Amino acid sequence: MTDGHTQHHWEYSMFPFILALGVFLGVPLAFASFFQYGSGLAGAVFGLAGLLLIVIGIAGWTSEGLAENSENGYALTGLPIFIVSETMIFLSLFVSYWMLRLTAAQWPPEGTPHIGVGMPIFMTIVLVSSSITYHFGEEKLDAGDNSGFKFWLQVSIGLGLLFLGCTLYEYNHLIHEGFTFGTNAKSTAFYAITGFHATHVLLGLGIFVSVLIPALSGKTNRTFTGAAGLYWHFVDIVWFFVVSQIYFW
Amino acid sequence: MKEWIFTTDHKRVGILYLIGSMAAFAVAGLLAMAIRFELTWVGPTLIEADTYNVFLYFHGAAMILGFLIPGLTGFMANYLLPMMIGAHDVAFPRLNALSVWLYWFGIVLALLTFVVPDPPDIMWTGYAPYSTQYSSGNLSFYVFTVHLIGFSSLLGAVNFLCTVIYMRAPGMGWNQINFFVWTILGAFVIQLIFVPVLATAVTLLLLDKYLGTSFFVPSAGGDVLLYENLFWFYSHPAVYVILLPAVGALMEIISTMSKNPIFNYRVAVYGGVWGVVLLGSDVWAHHLYTSGMVDWVRIGMMVTTLIISVPVGLITISLVFTLYKGAIRFNTGMYYAASCLYLILIGGLTGIPLAMSSLTLHLGETYFVMAHFHFIMGMLATFALFASVYHWFPKMTGRMYNEKVGKAGFWLNFIGVNLTFYPLFIIGVEGMPRRYFDYEMFPQFQGSQQLATVGAILVAAGIAVMLINWIYSAISGEKAPNNNPWESASLEWTATASPPGPGNFPQPPEVSADWTPYDYQPRTAS
Repeated sequence: MTDGHTQHHWEYSMFPFILALGVFLGVPLAFASFFQYGSGLAGAVFGLAGLLLIVIGIAGWTSEGLAENSENGYALTGLPIFIVSETMIFLSLFVSYWMLRLTAAQWPPEGTPHIGVGMPIFMTIVLVSSSITYHFGEEKLDAGDNSGFKFWLQVSIGLGLLFLGCTLYEYNHLIHEGFTFGTNAKSTAFYAITGFHATHVLLGLGIFVSVLIPALSGKTNRTFTGAAGLYWHFVDIVWFFVVSQIYFW
Repeated sequence: MKEWIFTTDHKRVGILYLIGSMAAFAVAGLLAMAIRFELTWVGPTLIEADTYNVFLYFHGAAMILGFLIPGLTGFMANYLLPMMIGAHDVAFPRLNALSVWLYWFGIVLALLTFVVPDPPDIMWTGYAPYSTQYSSGNLSFYVFTVHLIGFSSLLGAVNFLCTVIYMRAPGMGWNQINFFVWTILGAFVIQLIFVPVLATAVTLLLLDKYLGTSFFVPSAGGDVLLYENLFWFYSHPAVYVILLPAVGALMEIISTMSKNPIFNYRVAVYGGVWGVVLLGSDVWAHHLYTSGMVDWVRIGMMVTTLIISVPVGLITISLVFTLYKGAIRFNTGMYYAASCLYLILIGGLTGIPLAMSSLTLHLGETYFVMAHFHFIMGMLATFALFASVYHWFPKMTGRMYNEKVGKAGFWLNFIGVNLTFYPLFIIGVEGMPRRYFDYEMFPQFQGSQQLATVGAILVAAGIAVMLINWIYSAISGEKAPNNNPWESASLEWTATASPPGPGNFPQPPEVSADWTPYDYQPRTAS
């Protein structure tokens, strides 16, 4: 009856629990403290504690994963499966947007300032370039050139940051013109969809950073880098839908 | 402690899911008792009207998000699926651990409802505009509970789809895997596609309430029906997330206990399970027949709702005919499983009038709806989970439960639920509206309400007996005589110890091309 115990041992990792705890403190509790109970201090404490635990969790998890160095590649199937979910999130946002827009008496509704297309075109170029530069990095890695990989990865992260900077610049500009979250149906859809996409860019950058840090000391894993790239390309593709629906329609 | 909190083993994760879901069940069940006592007499009696609304909210949210979905997918898939397909663990063990802890923190967040000054009182549906504009309740707790548990479920979906794709024992073809594994695949495909829609819907609630957007504010061009559509677009398929693993487990139990292979395995899998997954996505509007929509949608959804009886019927036929000429052994697990055949009949038949948009004008928002979905979710799915815990009890603990006490608990539960919900069907047809705190305008229903409360007391006693039986037997029950006391042919029984050690299988199993998990000796007709 105890034969099973002789071949293996129980597997442990403390990082999933730490990560889950961090998410619990850093998202629901921080949000509720700040928005529901109006306590900025409690919100900041929960938020920072949560963020710290999340960073510890991800760092520990990544180093454990790289130490095992398993190359089974399941993640390269798992990630596309997860992306199905992500696609449904964006689809439901777009459906909500279409419903708002197609039932509106007038579009854009009263109070919408002119939103230029120059900025989104520039942002598209930046984001597409970052996908291409990451691809260059992966090719370097396949050729065994670790420093080339690091270089192109850093370029991709820089371009991602530039993209987020553009988003912030645009938001700042529009909010100064009086176009805030609650202005009208257009602002609702605009901020929700572009904001949601920007959050995904931020998440993708987080993944890139957690690929970069071990790569600086020479540790890479082809499954991990492949998955990170796949996610980044997905975020890139979603941007085309965001641009076409929000800015050019 | 450390071995459990930091574990990444699928069996321990499964047990953690079971503990979490039974805790949610216990709290939500106690609230149901409070609700029932309040309704026993006309007029306000026990609790305040506001408290009643909070209890209704928590009962619904905890039972569905905290008990049924995690119990039937999280616990059952984690504990059983890897062993059934001959895998040493799931594809992503650490992700699995993250998933169970996100779920636990979701439960903790939901429980904070009872501590905070402004508990949510928005039902488990959180309909706008009440939740966003009129309720002072803490909407963010509701939203983040959905997020945490939903995200946990998505991680589970990714994990188990990869596990079944890559980690089946060498030689195990798709038509050789257990029926239960198919139902888990179906349930997780539904979760993967539809949970994000619910997550988006509740996120939009959050944006509307706290950031001032106007998705659901009609005066600013928003639409409250958008929320109802997004919500039920997930939450109807969620019923099948619960139903599919339930019938999957029943199929395993019935096949093992009657020593028969599953009747019409391929029809039940490809027609039944995948039919439900496919059609289940196109019936959600029957939850809002009376909310207003164009006729072609209403009639179309009525047709699809009625058609979904066909795949569910295919599965039911397999359940019943697997018993045919079997050498049936009636232990406690099988008692629960057999009673489920009756529950699926009553629950299914009462769904048919509700599918018809004309009858819904009368029956919608009455106790009839409530009794109908309690027959499916509160009884069929719940009994299937209890049946599974009893059936796999020797596997999980290496000990036997007490059969007599188990059966006593079963009869208390079974008589109790019928006594509770038949009167509610009747007063529902006669017009008793659901969710009401007080029914002073319908004093004639007091007798039926009192019968229902008596039934609920029996159920509470039955559950207590059952939990005591589980806990006592797990600690000091009689040792199981061998690793396979029910003489099952399925891999989790034949090839592992009870309870299984790390890595599950002493020798990695391999199966031949004619192996099936239902390989019982054909017996001569009597």
